[in-house]
Amino acid sequence: MAHSSNQIFTSYERNPALLDEIYESNGEVKEIYKKLFSLYGEHSILDYVKLNEKAKSSFFNQGITFQVYSEKDTQEKIFPFDLFPRIIDPEDWDIIERGAIQRSKALNLFLWDVYHDKKIIKQGIVPMDLISSSINYMHQMLGVDPPGGIYNHISGTDIIKHSDGKYYVLEDNIRCPSGVSYVICNRTALKRALFGVFNHYQTCSVTNYAENLLELLESVKPKGVDVPNVVVITPGMYNSAFYEHSYLAKTMGVELVEGRDLFVENDFVYMKTIRGPLKVDIIYRRIDDLFLDPLEFKPDSSIGVPGLFAAYKKGNVTLANAPGTGVADDKAVYTYMPEIIKYYLNEEPILSNVHTYHCSRPDELKYVLEHIHELVIKPVDEAGGYGISIGNRLTKSEIETVKKQIKENPRKYVAQPILSLSVHPTYIDESESFEQRHVDLRTFTILGKDKEFVLKGGLTRVALKKGNLIVNSSQGGGSKDTWVLKNN
Amino acid sequence: MLLEYSIIYKAQNHYENWVDDAHWQFLIIPEQNNSQEFVSIDFTNSLNVPNEFSVNAYGFKTIRVNPKMKFKDIAFEADFKLIKREVNPFDFRPEEDIEGSFKKIEELNFRVDFEPFLRTTPLTFLPQNDKGLFVFDHTQSIFENLQNLNNWTFKHLYFKTGVTSVDTKLHEILENKHGVCQDFTHLFCALARANNVPARYVSGYLHQGNGYFGDSQMHAWAEAYIPNIGWMGFDPTNNLLANTNHIKVAHGKDYEDCSPLKGVVHTHGEHETSHTVQVSSQQQQ
Amino acid sequence: MLARVANNLFWMGRYIERSEHIARYLNVNYFSSLDAPNERSQDRQFVLRSMLFMVGDPVTDEKLFLDEENVLYKIGLDPGFAFSIINNVKYARENANSARDLISTELYEAINKFYHFVLKYPVDAYVKNGLHDFTVNVTEMSAILRGKIRGTLLHDEVYAIILMGVNIERATQIIRIINAKYNDALKAQGSYGHKFGNSFEWTTLLKCAESYDMMRRFYKKTPSSITTLEFLILNPNSPRSVMNSLNQVYKHIRELDLNRTYDKKSTSFLVGKVRAEYEYKLIEEIEGDIQSFIDSILDRLSEISLKMENEFFHY
Repeated sequence: MAHSSNQIFTSYERNPALLDEIYESNGEVKEIYKKLFSLYGEHSILDYVKLNEKAKSSFFNQGITFQVYSEKDTQEKIFPFDLFPRIIDPEDWDIIERGAIQRSKALNLFLWDVYHDKKIIKQGIVPMDLISSSINYMHQMLGVDPPGGIYNHISGTDIIKHSDGKYYVLEDNIRCPSGVSYVICNRTALKRALFGVFNHYQTCSVTNYAENLLELLESVKPKGVDVPNVVVITPGMYNSAFYEHSYLAKTMGVELVEGRDLFVENDFVYMKTIRGPLKVDIIYRRIDDLFLDPLEFKPDSSIGVPGLFAAYKKGNVTLANAPGTGVADDKAVYTYMPEIIKYYLNEEPILSNVHTYHCSRPDELKYVLEHIHELVIKPVDEAGGYGISIGNRLTKSEIETVKKQIKENPRKYVAQPILSLSVHPTYIDESESFEQRHVDLRTFTILGKDKEFVLKGGLTRVALKKGNLIVNSSQGGGSKDTWVLKNN
Repeated sequence: MLLEYSIIYKAQNHYENWVDDAHWQFLIIPEQNNSQEFVSIDFTNSLNVPNEFSVNAYGFKTIRVNPKMKFKDIAFEADFKLIKREVNPFDFRPEEDIEGSFKKIEELNFRVDFEPFLRTTPLTFLPQNDKGLFVFDHTQSIFENLQNLNNWTFKHLYFKTGVTSVDTKLHEILENKHGVCQDFTHLFCALARANNVPARYVSGYLHQGNGYFGDSQMHAWAEAYIPNIGWMGFDPTNNLLANTNHIKVAHGKDYEDCSPLKGVVHTHGEHETSHTVQVSSQQQQ
Repeated sequence: MLARVANNLFWMGRYIERSEHIARYLNVNYFSSLDAPNERSQDRQFVLRSMLFMVGDPVTDEKLFLDEENVLYKIGLDPGFAFSIINNVKYARENANSARDLISTELYEAINKFYHFVLKYPVDAYVKNGLHDFTVNVTEMSAILRGKIRGTLLHDEVYAIILMGVNIERATQIIRIINAKYNDALKAQGSYGHKFGNSFEWTTLLKCAESYDMMRRFYKKTPSSITTLEFLILNPNSPRSVMNSLNQVYKHIRELDLNRTYDKKSTSFLVGKVRAEYEYKLIEEIEGDIQSFIDSILDRLSEISLKMENEFFHY
C-alpha cells in the first residue's frame, strides 16, 4: 500500500467502523488528500514533534489563550491546534454554505414572527410550547422592529459528517457564537509551520471575515445615522473569549469597550473617550441578553449598561445579535427546523437535522426512557457541551440519575440517536503519533440587510480524548485548520 | 364627572458610605388611558441632577436619574396631577354567550395572542395541588367567575403588612394565608390563568379616601381579559372592581415587570430607604 | 480613544519602565559592590538595604540582619510583594491586555513573552546564581519593548499616552535612584577617608542609569556629586535626565491636548510650568539641599500624573 513508505502514517490505526475523512471506503487515500498525504510523509515524526512544540509556543506568546477557572486557581491555556488540516471539496462546501444560509434566513424569519404576529404557531406548524415555556423568549422584544429586520446577524452552525457520509446539523448557535478568531489563527499558525503545503492547493482565504462583519454591522445602522460608530462590547479581559473580542475589534478597526465605558443619556448611547463623550450607533455585543442592562434585566450585572435597552427600543442603537434570539437556538426549536424552513422559505432543508425526541411529549419520553443507552440526552438551554449525557457511556447508576432528572423536568431535555462523527488524522502529543479523532465543523454565517456571507472555512473542532464525542473547547477539545478548496 | 387627582410620591435613600455611581429607574408615572388624562409632572431630586424621561422595556414611561457625583443622601419627590373620568365598572354589555366565551379562551389564536398573561412566572407559580383551589363554573359568565375569584381571594388571605416581601412565592403565601396587595394580586392572577383567563398584574395608586387597604404605598391589583368585553380591573385586596379611585401606572406578568423603582448603586455598607405615597382628589367643575 | 484604555496604556508604559529600573538597580549595586573600593560599599547588608530603600520598602532597624536570598526573591519574583519585578511585569501585561485592540501584535507579543519569561524564571536559580542573567534579560526585554513601541505603533495619541507614562516613570525612577544613592553616599562617607563629594556611590548611580560612559565623555573627569547630579537632572541631552523626560512629557502632552488657548488648569500648562522651572536651574542651587529638591520634584511628578488622570482618564 502507498502509505507503507509514509513514515508518519505507519503507525496510524484505522478503525473500520468509523468514517475516516481522508480515506475512501476501499482504503485508498482520497484524491484531494493524496498530495497532502505524501507531503506530510516526507517528514519524520520527529519533525512534527518539533513543529507542534513551535506552534504551541507561538500561540502562547501571541496570547491566543483562554482562562480556565477551577476552585484552586486560574490557568491560562491555549486552544490545542492540530497541524494536519481538514480539506473540504467545493461540492461539499456548496451544500454546507447554502444550507447554513438557508437556516440563518429561516431562523431570522422565525424570530420576526414569534416577536410579531406568531403566525407559525397560530397555524399550528410549531407548538405554542416553543415560546410559552421557553425561558429565552423575551416579552420585552414583542413588537420591536430591529434595524434592517435582522435578529441573528451572526450564526454559528455546528455540523457533523455521519458515518453515512452525509452532513447533519447538530445545533444552531445564534446568541453569541464564538470561535471565529481561531479559524484565522489556525490558518496563520499552519502557514508559519508548513507554508510549503499551501503551494499545492487552491485554498480559500479566511481573513476576509472582519471586513464582512463590519460591512454587515454598518448595513443595519439606526435610522438617521450617516457614518455609524461601531463598537464591540466585551464582559472584560477575564472572559474566556476575550482574545476573540479584541481580535475582532482590532481587525474591524473599531473600539473594544466594556459596559463601564458606555453610558446612556436621553436614550442615546455614548462612550467615554479622552476627549469626552462620543455617540455609539452599533454594538456588536458579546455579552448575554440578561446582562445587557441592569435596570431591565439582572440588577446585579456589572458588565452591562444602565438604560441600554431603552435606547435600543427607541431605535437609537443597534444590537447585534438582537436581544431575544435565544428562543430560536433552544434545542426544542431545532427539532422543528425542517418545518420552519419549509414554512418561511418554501424550500426543502439543504442540510439534514438529526432526529430528535422531545421528552415533553409523553410517547417520546417513554421511548427515551426505554432506549436511553443508545441516545444522547441534552438539556435544551445549555451551551458549551455542558449537561450532555451519552447513553452508552453511562454506568447503571448514572442512567438512573439521568432518568430521574428527565422525569422531573421533561421539557428541559431532548434526546438524539448517538451519531458516529467522522474521524480525522490528528497529531496526539502523548503518543507522538497520528491517531483518529472525532471532528465536527462550526460555520460562521453573517446575515445583514440584503447581505449574506459564510466564512469559507469554519472551525473544525477535534475531540482530543480518544473516543470522546464532545468537541467543545471547555471540554478539552482542539481544532484544525479547515481548507475549503476553490472551485476550478 | 371629572376628578382631579394629585399624587405625591417621595423616596429617601441614606447610605452609610459614599456612593460613587448610581442609576435609578422610576416606574411611577400614571398611564394615559381612556379614563386618565394627564396634567402635569413635577419630579425633583435633592442633588439637583438632571432627570431623564424615557420608557422601560415594556413601553411604560419612566424617569431615570444618574447623579454623576458622590453622595450619601438623596431624596426624590414626584408630584403628579391628573384628571380622571368617573369609572363605573359595571358599565359594559354582559356576556351573552357564556359557552362561546369559554370556547374562545380555549382557541389557539387567543392563547397565542395572550401568551404573556397566561404564562406562569416564578411569582405566580402555583404548586400542582393548589391549581384546583378555585375552579371556574362554566354555567356562569367569565365575569361572574372572576368576581367570585376576587371575593374568594379576598377571603382566603388576610391583609397583613411586614410578613411578606416583593419576592415571596405563592406557596408560602398560601401556607400562611396572609400578605399585602402584591400577594393578593399574584394569587388572583395565578388562579385566573389556571382557568385559562389572561390576567395581568397592575401597579398604581389607590385613593385611600374610603378606608381601603393600601398602606400609603403604591397599590397593586389585577386586570383580566374577558372575550368581547376586554380588560377589566379587579382589586382582590379590597374585594372591589377597579374604579375611579384606582390610578393605573403600569401592567405586566407580575411584580417583576412593574417594580416602581429599580436601582444600581455602587457602594458598600448599610443603607436605609423609605417611600411614601399620598393621593388626594377634588371634584372638578 | 476610550478614557479607561488610555489610563491602561499610560500605566502600561509606567510599569514597563519601572521594572527596568528596578532590575538595573539590583544588578549594578550588587555587582559593583563586589569589588567596591571601601568596606562600607562592599558590605552586603548595606547593598541589600539600599535595594529595599529604592523600591520603597526601607528597613529602618539597623540591627536587623537581612537574608540575601530573601531580599532578592522579594524584589525580583515575589508575587506577594506589590513592588516586585514580577508584579510590575504582570501589571504591564494586564494593562496591555485590555488595550490589545489598539496596540500592534508585535508589541503585544513582546510584552507577553516578557511576562512568560519572568513567570517561568526558576526561583531557586535566580536567588542562588541567576541574578545577573535575570536582571540583564529584564532590562533587555524592556529595551525591546521600547523599540516595539517606537517602531510598530502609529505615532498618534496612543503612542503619546504610552510615552507620557514611560517618561513620567523614568523621571520618577531616576529621582528615586538618586535618592537611594544619595542616602548611601551619606552613610558611606567618613569610612576610610571616604568623602561625600567624590564617593564611589556616584559611579554606581550613573551606572544604574546607564549614563556612566556618556557622563565621562561629557565631563572627561571622575564623577563627583555635582557633575553626576547635573548630568542626571539638568542636562537635557542626557537621555535619562529628569530634564529630558520633562521635555518628552511636554512634547507628548502637546500632541494630546489640542487646545491652544490659555488654560492654566490644564495638564499641559502644569507640565510646561514645571519644565520651565528646571530648564534654567543651576546645579549649585540644588546641591545645597538635595533632599528637599528630591521631595519637591517627586511631588511635582505625582501632581502631573494626577492631573492627567482627571483630565483624560476620568471615566
